[in-house]
Amino acid sequence: MQEFMIFIKTNGDHFDDLSPEQQQAHVQKIGKYIGELMEAGKLKGAQPLEMNGAVIHGNKGVFKDGPFNESKEVIVGYFHIMANNMEEAIEIAKANPMFHDEEGIMEVRPVKQMEGIN
Amino acid sequence: MSKDKKNISYEIDHLYRHEYGKLVSVLTKTFGTSNIELAEDVVQEAFAEALNKWTYNGVPENPVGWIYKVAKYKAVNILNREKYKRKYVSEVAHYLQSEWTLEPALKRIFTDKEIEDDQLRMIFTCCHPSISSDSQVALTLKTLCGFSILEIAKAFLTTEENINKRLVRARRTIKETNIPFEVPIGKELEERLSSVLETIYLLFNEGYNASSGDHPIRYELCEEATRLAEIIASNSNIKSSNVYALLALMTLNASRFNSRTDEFDNVLDLEHQDRSQWDKDLIKKGLYYLEFATQQNNISIYHILATISAQHCTAPDYDSTDWESILSMYDILMEIDKSPIVLLNRAIVLSKTGNPQKALEQLISIKNKSEFLSYLPYYTTIAELYFQNNQPKTAIKLLNEALKLPLEPRHKLLINRKLEEYSKKV
Repeated sequence: MQEFMIFIKTNGDHFDDLSPEQQQAHVQKIGKYIGELMEAGKLKGAQPLEMNGAVIHGNKGVFKDGPFNESKEVIVGYFHIMANNMEEAIEIAKANPMFHDEEGIMEVRPVKQMEGIN
Repeated sequence: MSKDKKNISYEIDHLYRHEYGKLVSVLTKTFGTSNIELAEDVVQEAFAEALNKWTYNGVPENPVGWIYKVAKYKAVNILNREKYKRKYVSEVAHYLQSEWTLEPALKRIFTDKEIEDDQLRMIFTCCHPSISSDSQVALTLKTLCGFSILEIAKAFLTTEENINKRLVRARRTIKETNIPFEVPIGKELEERLSSVLETIYLLFNEGYNASSGDHPIRYELCEEATRLAEIIASNSNIKSSNVYALLALMTLNASRFNSRTDEFDNVLDLEHQDRSQWDKDLIKKGLYYLEFATQQNNISIYHILATISAQHCTAPDYDSTDWESILSMYDILMEIDKSPIVLLNRAIVLSKTGNPQKALEQLISIKNKSEFLSYLPYYTTIAELYFQNNQPKTAIKLLNEALKLPLEPRHKLLINRKLEEYSKKV
């Protein structure tokens, strides 16, 4: 088993164009998905992020705001999971109902494993 | 108090008895064992809120669901409010601190199966061998059975202050020794289980043996002991037949509960009990447990005691008791347990098998052992045997000696009754 981070990205608040009923159904589907991951012992944590924050560009100790992404793509949250390999991690990401009715991007990245210390 | 209000407080008392231990167990898992008291506080608060709200708005349609929901949300609020102040070791606590995982995690930790498993974990936590046995019992009653400190004090005929001290000590030990919230496995399970069963049996005997005090509370102690043993028995990972043997013993003994005292609250021995009052259903249940317990090839003290109890329960009357079989059980028991009470009980049985003289000789031979000198049952037993051997004068002499011991009034009364009985034969 290996740790993976799945970053969830959308363009703006992807809930905006859903009716309250649709939103509720959506939340229930995601809840079921998360529950199953927990049950399987594959979820280490998952948290949403606030939509606004700061972007800072640093260069040799000089910092400035931005650059701001033209496409308004933001990270809305992450899933910290356990999977046997990259293939399984991708399967888990695809099973997330978050984008079964909506559009968005998921970035699946293995957490770098520490080499043994000699 | 209006009738409605009375009903509400009855309803809440009832819920409290049934749900308190479950909720505390689940929340102890959530907060970690070092925060047992926090778990208890949250559940207390939820019930206090129920009393408040229900008094004005009436009892909701699903009172259990209502209490659970309130307790859940209180717990979540505490977790998130004190996120950075307190360290929660459980994985669950982490899930409950995220908007995404909160609801799925709540759903998962409150399934019936999880609640039952958590109660089992709680039993093993409360009965951890690093906690002294009187503290184990107090903590079990407080957290798993929803007893108030006052009720525990009443049950143990001691002060609230005393019980509180035991609870404080128990919680401190849990914190300091970092007792985990889990059911041990393998070899450790065997050892820990025997300590758990001992505590449960102690709890049962507290309710069963003491004859004074508040009857409902005493009977509840027995019921709670049985309930806890049933939780253990229903777990498929625990395969020890000792659990069933203990259940058999407690159930068979409980079947005689109502006939054990007369209308003046005096304890009646088996000979004088009204057998028609024995609970047939409990006897049946107890025999079923015993059968289940004897399917494995091991034998524990509970197996032996349950078999003896079964012999009594199935004898139509005192005289047709199968004393020979009981005596053979006592012989096995003596190999495991040489305590005074076993020795005395065996002597009584021996006298019933037509050997009162031999029984008497055995008891006389141990008379000078110091542990017997201040042990009331020794005097009453040996006196009874002298009486049966047609030596009422010696019997009376012994009882008069016994009266010099520091005795409770009810014991004095019992001795005086016996004295009266014996004097008639002089």
